[in-house]
Amino acid sequence: MQKYWTVFRVNWQNALQYRGPTFISILGNLLHISVLLYLWNAIYRSGQHLGSYSLSDLITYYILQLMINSMVLSYISWDIVDEIREGTFSNFLVKPLNYLYYWFTINLSGKLFEGLMVLIVGLVMSFILIAHVSLPSQGITLLRFALALVLGGLLAFEFDFAIGILAFWLVKVNSFKYMLQYGMFFLAGALLPLDLFPAQFQAVANALPFRFLVFFPIQIFLEKEPAPMAGFITAGLWVIVLYIILRFGLQRGIKRYEAAGH
Amino acid sequence: MKPPVTEAYATSLSGRWARYLRLYRSFLMHNLKNEMIYRANFAIAVGMDIVFMGVNVVFFAIVYGNVETIGGWTFHQTLILVGSVGVVRELAYLTFRQGFLQLGDYVRTGNFDVMLTAPMATFVHLAFRHVSLTESLGEGLMGLFLVGYGFAHLDAASWISVPLYLLMLFNSLVIYYAFSLTVNSMVFWLVKSQELNTVVYYFMNTARYPREIYHGLGKAFFTFIVPSSLIATTPASILAGRAEGNLVGLSIGVAVVLLCLGLSVWNWSLHYYSSASS
Repeated sequence: MQKYWTVFRVNWQNALQYRGPTFISILGNLLHISVLLYLWNAIYRSGQHLGSYSLSDLITYYILQLMINSMVLSYISWDIVDEIREGTFSNFLVKPLNYLYYWFTINLSGKLFEGLMVLIVGLVMSFILIAHVSLPSQGITLLRFALALVLGGLLAFEFDFAIGILAFWLVKVNSFKYMLQYGMFFLAGALLPLDLFPAQFQAVANALPFRFLVFFPIQIFLEKEPAPMAGFITAGLWVIVLYIILRFGLQRGIKRYEAAGH
Repeated sequence: MKPPVTEAYATSLSGRWARYLRLYRSFLMHNLKNEMIYRANFAIAVGMDIVFMGVNVVFFAIVYGNVETIGGWTFHQTLILVGSVGVVRELAYLTFRQGFLQLGDYVRTGNFDVMLTAPMATFVHLAFRHVSLTESLGEGLMGLFLVGYGFAHLDAASWISVPLYLLMLFNSLVIYYAFSLTVNSMVFWLVKSQELNTVVYYFMNTARYPREIYHGLGKAFFTFIVPSSLIATTPASILAGRAEGNLVGLSIGVAVVLLCLGLSVWNWSLHYYSSASS
């Protein structure tokens, strides 16, 4: 436990030192979200609407999406792919660390750091748009929301780690990986709420676990989720199943590892 | 009595253009040969671009499943808009984008010295050195397809608008270049400069939404500070038959001012290059 705590601290300091990139990526997301808010505003001003959403619901959806993007969605696979491809992964084989837990710790400290930064941005934004933000009516919603964020964060990490260790099997994983991530975020509801999708598409997206990353937590916050409990259980089961698959996949991957460049 | 100086200058100017064109050609051929080594990679990149743009189209398809128009734009008009972004992206890779992506490495390693001493303007050399046909080809092809598809489904499509459309695409390319140049001028002060191009990426990422959605401060911001609302909307408006003279004039004005600004900032920033490890 002690060693992971050290990993956590070192990475936290690293994040603190290179806060510039984090800040810029938050600003970039903020820019995109602002454009989308203008888009929805233009649509609602012209008397049209999207599904059952009020303009306030949509604005809240995208402010939460901005925060979830930084707090929940994981981007560690870039580094994992580099390590495996360039052969620096070899260093781990002699270290008394589990590769999965190691990256979990790094992801955790990174997400907490980025989360703190985005929380400030999100609060400022909510404050400016306070008249257009839908706040939950019950206190229990916030607790449920927090739990959904944690489950979403675990799943997001597991999916991203899975994409990362694909590099054991595929040489040119980077371009492919970008596509996977983009598709995954789309099916998570990061670009559009899933209940605006056409019915068949919606059925597919609902059956997949990606909705727990973005759509599910936001629906809970907006108090639109009909069965939060069932969602928690399903998400929890996915976390466990993926954990087992990843442990197994990592073992197989290490056996295939070729230590390129060494 | 003709002033010979002017004439000599004129030939040297046209001579310079011809030389730059020759250099462009050889850079392009050289890079193309390099790219052709990794053919499988190229196929994956094209496929990925198509998926990437496909998701953008799906986004608008879903929104248009709920609404009739966005800021007055119909679905088919919006396809021209989304497609134009893809075309501008490919044109950018064909002229300058990849060079800016490499700039950080050049400055950090000190290899930028070579750029400064080459008998060619630095802002052209940097742009041409890494021109790539294939890097964004998928987006270009998909973009052309979307523009064509949208154009074919318009009620008031007119072929007369095509030349002006092409001209305004070029104008958008100038805006994109000028914005990249201005942002990248900061490279000489930063150690980790990758983020500068992240900024440029986000800039282009907001170009595919119609300009009509903005109002007030937002409109000014996305016109003069981050001029992404002009990139696709101006050319697409022309082809979609919804152009106003004002918008064309505004876009050209912004392009000219931004280019002058970018070049001045760039040339001034060059003085702060400290030439690492040499």
